[in-house]
Amino acid sequence: MEAGAPSPGRVRIALTVNGRPVEVWIEPRELLLDVLRDRLGLTGAKRSCDVQVCGACTVLLDGQAVSACCTLAYEARGRRVLTIEGLAPDGRLHPLQEAFIEHAAVQCGFCTPGMILTAATLLDQVPAPTFEQVKAHLQGTLCRCTGYWKIIEAVVAAGRRMASVEAPR
Amino acid sequence: MLRPFEIHEPATVQEGSRLLAHYGEDSSVYAGGTELIPVMKEGLAHFRHLVNIKTIPGLDGIRHERGRVQIGALATHRQIERSPVVLAQAPVLAQVAARVANLRVRNVGTLGGNLCFAEPHSDPAAVLLACGATLVLAHAGERRLPADAFFTGILQTARMPDEILVGVEVPAFGPGTGAAYERFATHERPTAGVAAVLMMDEGVIASARIVIGSVGPVPARAPEAEAMLAGQRPDPRLFRAAAETAGRRAEILEDLYGSADYKRHIVMMLAARALHAAAAQAGARVN
Amino acid sequence: MSMTRPIVGSPLRRVDAAEKVTGAARYTGDLVVPGMLYGRVLRSPHAHARIARIDAAAAERLPGVRAVLTGRDLEGLDAYYGHAIKDRPIIALDRVRFAGEPVAAVAADDEATAEEALLAIVVEYEALPAATTLDAALAGDAPRLHEGPLRPGLFHGLGELRREEGNICYHYRFARGDPDRAFADAGVVVDGEYTFPAVYQYAMEPHTVIAQWGSDGLTVWACCQHPYLVRAELADLFRLPLSSVRIIVPYIGGGFGSKSYTKMEPVTAALARKAGRPVRIANRIVEAMVTTRRHNMKCWMRTCSTRDGVVVARQCRIWLDTGAYADNGPRVAATAGDAAPGPYRWRAVDVDAWAVYTNTPPAGSYRAFGAAHLSWIGESQIDALARKTGLDPVEFRRRNLLRPGEEVRPGGKPLDADLVGDVTKVAAAIGWGTPKAPLVGRGVSVGLLAAGANPVSTAAMRLQADGTAVLLVSTTELGQGSRTVFTQIAAEELALPPDRIRVMGPDTHFTPYDRSTGASRSTTLAGKAVQHAAVDLREQLLDIAGGIWGLPRAALSVRDGAVWHETEALSYPDLIRRHFGMVGGELIGHGEVRPQRGTGSYAEGPVFWEVCVGGAEVQVDPSTGRVHVRRLASVADVGKAINPQLVEAQDEGATLQGLGNALFEEMLFENGHLVNASLLEYHVPTTSDMPDEFHSIIVENADGPGPYGAKGVGEGALAAVPAAIVNALADLGVEMRELPLTPERVWRRLQDAGIRTGEIRSPEIDRR
Repeated sequence: MEAGAPSPGRVRIALTVNGRPVEVWIEPRELLLDVLRDRLGLTGAKRSCDVQVCGACTVLLDGQAVSACCTLAYEARGRRVLTIEGLAPDGRLHPLQEAFIEHAAVQCGFCTPGMILTAATLLDQVPAPTFEQVKAHLQGTLCRCTGYWKIIEAVVAAGRRMASVEAPR
Repeated sequence: MLRPFEIHEPATVQEGSRLLAHYGEDSSVYAGGTELIPVMKEGLAHFRHLVNIKTIPGLDGIRHERGRVQIGALATHRQIERSPVVLAQAPVLAQVAARVANLRVRNVGTLGGNLCFAEPHSDPAAVLLACGATLVLAHAGERRLPADAFFTGILQTARMPDEILVGVEVPAFGPGTGAAYERFATHERPTAGVAAVLMMDEGVIASARIVIGSVGPVPARAPEAEAMLAGQRPDPRLFRAAAETAGRRAEILEDLYGSADYKRHIVMMLAARALHAAAAQAGARVN
Repeated sequence: MSMTRPIVGSPLRRVDAAEKVTGAARYTGDLVVPGMLYGRVLRSPHAHARIARIDAAAAERLPGVRAVLTGRDLEGLDAYYGHAIKDRPIIALDRVRFAGEPVAAVAADDEATAEEALLAIVVEYEALPAATTLDAALAGDAPRLHEGPLRPGLFHGLGELRREEGNICYHYRFARGDPDRAFADAGVVVDGEYTFPAVYQYAMEPHTVIAQWGSDGLTVWACCQHPYLVRAELADLFRLPLSSVRIIVPYIGGGFGSKSYTKMEPVTAALARKAGRPVRIANRIVEAMVTTRRHNMKCWMRTCSTRDGVVVARQCRIWLDTGAYADNGPRVAATAGDAAPGPYRWRAVDVDAWAVYTNTPPAGSYRAFGAAHLSWIGESQIDALARKTGLDPVEFRRRNLLRPGEEVRPGGKPLDADLVGDVTKVAAAIGWGTPKAPLVGRGVSVGLLAAGANPVSTAAMRLQADGTAVLLVSTTELGQGSRTVFTQIAAEELALPPDRIRVMGPDTHFTPYDRSTGASRSTTLAGKAVQHAAVDLREQLLDIAGGIWGLPRAALSVRDGAVWHETEALSYPDLIRRHFGMVGGELIGHGEVRPQRGTGSYAEGPVFWEVCVGGAEVQVDPSTGRVHVRRLASVADVGKAINPQLVEAQDEGATLQGLGNALFEEMLFENGHLVNASLLEYHVPTTSDMPDEFHSIIVENADGPGPYGAKGVGEGALAAVPAAIVNALADLGVEMRELPLTPERVWRRLQDAGIRTGEIRSPEIDRR
């Protein structure tokens, strides 16, 4: 897949987006959020606060959560980008996605992609986190609808489910 | 919305420094970008040349050598937070790194960027000052600057335009050294923070360093309070008196985070707590 | 799937959740219309100024710029809008009245070009004296913001409007009894002045609009809560028939009132008209903050009771800062006035509420407006009376609260909730009467919010030949879960599995009229219309089956997607096929709610009283003044919980917003300029602000006017929580008359209350 066109001042970067190799011509000033949304059509990451406080634009860069609204697309060269669209590649939902549905951890949905990806980075490190661990991990990711209770409960439940599946018999 | 710029990718510090010298005010060092990009997006600053020092190898390591913890300027807050070296030799730095902004900023933001940006509401700066850190600045050559001398004003440092901060060195804590950082925050950035480092020798405070951050233009030592502690045995009344002195003498600016008299009170409370916590870290009995 | 279990009352999974957890859900900003340009808006740097000259020539010449809109382009239009008062131009004409007001707009090939072009527009301003605070605007010599005869908007619903004196935008008043005498004779009086801050709703999705003109008129995609009202205002502005304006509303990334009524739609439509191409304007947060906000307020109130604790009278004067344009200010003033007395048995009440124009960004709706402003004030005076009369605050309320059926306001709907039961429940949930740790205080609060807005809603349901159904209803899905609740109602009435029903988003060309999505009205009113539409369909099916079998309706029933007579069944697809005589066809059910219809109570205002009942247990750190909320409880008195999980979700969200409003949220203005215009400096609650415990108590007395006795929820807690927290502090002897309860403010009052603030307390000084 290749997006954008060469022109003066543009550079070509190669990266992996949701497991697929992608090449894009970008200007150095372009933000990762704009390239994902406007060029690659991946609109799951949302623009909200624009000052890396809210987390609505969160994507994972080599497995680490970053604010795509303040990250240059240039930073993604040669790296792996995961957006919410890539979390359930075969249409089989990730346990976090299932838990968010089950626990009504979704309201308007604007924070949901960033929230789920942020939670995924916790489950990578801590297999079955406690309520307090989840609460601490999600501290910098805002949701204005839910009051966070159902989100935290969903992450705890997903962590338990994943840990029980992965545990050796 | 960012205006156009070019990104340069030096392979060495010297090359980076030459680029900065060449483009002068039209250039900026670029590392994590967590401070720079938002400022440029807002149109508060514009540089047509960003010198990406992440392409220079060797600036992100964390080592323990010759009794000093050496932290590369490109080490992210996240790296510092989880570094076994830091956790073993200067745990307070890991604690403070874990409290910077939020997860995403910590993943990307570098210690060097945080220091060079010199936003007054910063956690790491105060702690490094208290720990007696030395900053290593490089251009053609290299110079070493005590952290005390680095911060010169709001968003201003002693770094020359063609210099690159390459690392920070902190003396490893020996037995009997305790350090703590206490902060108070109501917004994304801290309202006030106080760092205290106590070096104990046979139950006596051999030396003390207290640094007050976030409330003034730069993080600042509290020399009178430090002098009150030196040579004394840890004692709640002494700690309280030192904390009050530290607060009374601090330069405090009124801003959106609070009025000066309120922040002065908060500084006193934080200073007292930091002293108690540092004493506990040092294994000292306070009575 | 067997249909033995009722769907109404069960926690059906949200029908929109799968799309939202995978990133597939589309919001306005995710859409791209072919040929679309990107718009940016130039905003006034002055709080009040005359525009001497605008020179956009340089901007127009920039490559990639397709159009620059200024006031000159509006010549020939009556360019004023405002659903309550037509006082706001599409874009500044010759004068700006607040810092942030749109002065010009650029459409370009991309956002970066549009942004560059803004810098090339030259505007010469002549600064005018500005009235940027309530006091300044109310002063005798204040500069006036609006002159000339007042022009009522299309949807004011406020009786006869007239131009008031000075900068008064609207005055709401009601009184009964003789308050002066009541106060003269009173045993116990409390009296105080209070202030409430401007607050930002922070819907995470900022206002975003796409406008496109074509031979068939104007099409707008917008994240607006009330598409039919926006349609009417756009039709009025651009002199189009209603049928030539089409509003499509994708998923909305949160509203909370910030997207009610008309916001960025007129300027986007005007820019697209000039550009001759579709244009998208997406506000940034800094722009959203100056597009709408909650009213800051000052208030004087006094309340009296007998010495043995029987309430007697209340007087209240309320000044609400509505900013430069009315927006929903008049309604906010009326609702604040209605909320002022509180649900008590008064002998005399006297309330004045004024919406006041100032040179600040316009204030409009935000969840629980009016009640959030007044509940904490009235309830703190109730607590003060309880203390003065030596009564327990819960007991004081039990004695004085209105009972179901009693009059709340003259001519209004009588009380339709069991408030004594409600407050007893929250008190128990926060451990009322049990021993307290040091510096722990507890408080309860009771209030009412006039809810439901206007009772006009319609819905249609189309039963397809295969037995699946499409529900057409114009409620906007902004997170509250309306599509899920409507699915449940329709599934219940038609005996269909919920997964056979699809609820579409609003499109005014296809989904029928709904007055608005707000005021907690959708389940009650649009839900009732949905129920009627489903019942209409059911009756059609019964009639068709009855005709086939030669049986009356009464002998038939519906179950599992079929009409049954004893053990014989005709499935819906069979019935449709038999009805049309061949494969294909569909049945359409229609439902509506009008003031004259329903339970008969719609004619009286409000549609229902939403209860605002809360309890709080707080602990104060005297060394910093920080209030730590240990326990919160709220009553969701919903009549019938159609989906209990979603009721709880609404209550949880409203509670944390209430906590933010109570403890720290505040927009700070200096000379009319917003100085904390970003989330770096405007703190929105995070997980670290959550209370240690929260109890959402669902009360189902089937006393609402909606389907199955339901009534709305989702706002009450936002009014109840600040009031309960203020009372919990008062329980510690700390009286707060200014919100938010920032650590610094509390610290100062702690000193006034003689509580030592120099103690070095818990190391948990910083919980963030």
